[in-house]
Amino acid sequence: MFGLKLLPAVVRTGLAMFIVGGLVGYAATGFTTTLVADSGILGGGESSDAHKYVMALLQRESESLAQLQPARDVVSRALQQQSVSQQATSAKPLSVTYLGGSSSGRISVHIYAVELQATGGQYQFFPLALTVVGGKVVRVE
Amino acid sequence: MSNAAALSSGQMSSGRAALILATFLGGLVSGVVFYAVADKGTDANPYATLPKAAEPAVTAEVARAIQADDARGLANQLDMEVLQQLQAAIEPLADVRSMKFVGAVEKSGRVLAAYVAGGKTSDGTDVLVGFVLNVTGDQIVGVN
Repeated sequence: MFGLKLLPAVVRTGLAMFIVGGLVGYAATGFTTTLVADSGILGGGESSDAHKYVMALLQRESESLAQLQPARDVVSRALQQQSVSQQATSAKPLSVTYLGGSSSGRISVHIYAVELQATGGQYQFFPLALTVVGGKVVRVE
Repeated sequence: MSNAAALSSGQMSSGRAALILATFLGGLVSGVVFYAVADKGTDANPYATLPKAAEPAVTAEVARAIQADDARGLANQLDMEVLQQLQAAIEPLADVRSMKFVGAVEKSGRVLAAYVAGGKTSDGTDVLVGFVLNVTGDQIVGVN
């Protein structure tokens, strides 16, 4: 197949070993980095889930917010969609700064500072503290 | 097979095994490097970010008092309204075991200093709680 038989046996074997090694290296690195991120061994780095949640919150993406939260009943989800869509549409985020976070086991807390130019030019500067458990945002303050 | 032929075959086998091992290890390293290049990690922030500020002395004192379980110190440092906000912010923590300053930013004379407190709830569950002390003019004016 693909003319591989034209290659000497030693080259074929070497090529196969290189590909197998590459796949093992890629998969093992992905597994390890996910495990380390979820366990909080290295602590403080920004969680991808927390980052996505804050972005979805500021861009009023209720579907994305629902995906990043634990499963909830249909009425709670409808209420959230209504709440997100009723937010002032002209509110413009000026800056989003990740202040830092901390992890313990599967629980991690990530804190952001947000600057908004709200309706009528009103300026707001407020923090957001997100608690993430197993890739889901369980608490926002 | 003669002794010489067997010896020669053994040398070929070990040489080939070393080559196979080397190509496998080469592939392994390439896989790790490819993952590092391909993994985008956290998505880019489309908004501006503020420069980090140092931990304000006034919030460091409060953090020390919380970690030391020093109710008198806290009562001296914060007024009742801010204390009530702090109480709500650290809920459901009942026993604070650790306190970590994670970062601060300053804008227009207002500093937001973020902390993560770890400890146990009243039923013994381990929890982490994040809260932010709002500082204006070297005074804590609010807690989120």
